[in-house]
Amino acid sequence: MDTVKQIDSDDHMVQDMLAISQNRDQEALNRLFDHYVPKIRAFCLAAQPGANLMADDIAQEVMIRVWRKAHTYKPETASLNTWIFTLARNARIDYLRKNSRHQSNIDPEYLWRDVIDENADPFKDAQQKRDQERIQIGLAKLPQDQQQVLAKVYLEGKTHKEAAEELSLPLGTIKSRVRLALHKLTIYIKR
Amino acid sequence: MTIHYHPSIEMLTDYAAGSLSLTHSMSIATHIEQCQECQQQIRKLTTLGGQLFTQTTTEDANIVDLKASFFDKLREQDRSESMSSTVKEQGRRDQSTDHMTSEETLLSWEQDYQVPKSLRQFVPFGYDKLKWMPLSPSVKIATLCQEEGGAQVALTRIKAGASIPTHTHTGDEITLVLEGAFSDKSGIYRQGDFITRDASHKHKPMVTKDAECICLTVLDAPIEFTGWLTRLFNPIMRRYHPHSNH
Ligand SMILES: [Zn+2]
Repeated sequence: MDTVKQIDSDDHMVQDMLAISQNRDQEALNRLFDHYVPKIRAFCLAAQPGANLMADDIAQEVMIRVWRKAHTYKPETASLNTWIFTLARNARIDYLRKNSRHQSNIDPEYLWRDVIDENADPFKDAQQKRDQERIQIGLAKLPQDQQQVLAKVYLEGKTHKEAAEELSLPLGTIKSRVRLALHKLTIYIKR
Repeated sequence: MTIHYHPSIEMLTDYAAGSLSLTHSMSIATHIEQCQECQQQIRKLTTLGGQLFTQTTTEDANIVDLKASFFDKLREQDRSESMSSTVKEQGRRDQSTDHMTSEETLLSWEQDYQVPKSLRQFVPFGYDKLKWMPLSPSVKIATLCQEEGGAQVALTRIKAGASIPTHTHTGDEITLVLEGAFSDKSGIYRQGDFITRDASHKHKPMVTKDAECICLTVLDAPIEFTGWLTRLFNPIMRRYHPHSNH
């Protein structure tokens, strides 16, 4: 039931994306702002607790990209959530590289290509939809300890090593929790 | 093309999550340009990221002010854009012709090699145009970038049939084969293969006889040669690592 509802509200937002790219509809942008900005801020604060200014900057930056790049979004190749996640992830990396003590010359733009492929492939798209549903449903069923580690890596931006240190667990334990989780979500199949 | 050696699932996950260091991310990005299998994996791992992202518990911070300032900023930008749009349009046209020429010259310089997109920031005009530093008559190194923490990304270019001296490293070393092939006592590595070695590993890579080999190497910490050439090489390496204490 829950899944159905979520997909339904996703549809509304995909409509809003269309309204932005075709009609430059600011009302649609307004609605997406309400929905995503709290998430983007939470995503930033997870990595840098208390850094409210950073969270605000990144949230605005992401929403500007949504406004500018709406026409490049293709709903059949990635869910809107995934697309916005990649924008937020990249903006967070870029912000940290420019503002941290260890500044880097490496431009993240070259390293994370768009999830939206240039060449459409209906077979891949169908596969993508199935993966999406499988991950969405599987995630809710994961044991707490596995969800916790995934959140550390994805939301707090910790490497496996850092997650191990923070949870005072051996690196091997962290690795096996992530592997187990990815296995259940059928993301990772042992080679 | 069959790739036999891939990054670990941990590295792929950290890359998709955006928590992996930029130097390591560079090696992953370069590998997945050539590896369909890992591309698929990254796709799914990114989808997982999107799911976790939507589940973030949203604090009830007041975003009204933020929104107001956002829309002000947007209007401001749109206004200045429409004012300078004619200038910009012209600029864009210039840029695209520039792009074309550089792409064309790139091809005429190097018929055989295509520089991966992920490396173009540092290799805009092809491998031959880099500043190569000879380590021996058959081995050359070009540093692409040097991070403050001591990590280094470099290209190594080795002549067909040559070997590079035995060395150990103080941190992890990633090697990605871009062109040609080489082997060491654990196996043979071809285009696209991704090899991770830790500090305990001593190895003596040897390039296959048919063609030269170009590899991308990412080092956490400076490399140390342990063979008889140590005295000769280490001063050179030190120059590559201004932050190193070795
Ligand atoms: Zn691979």
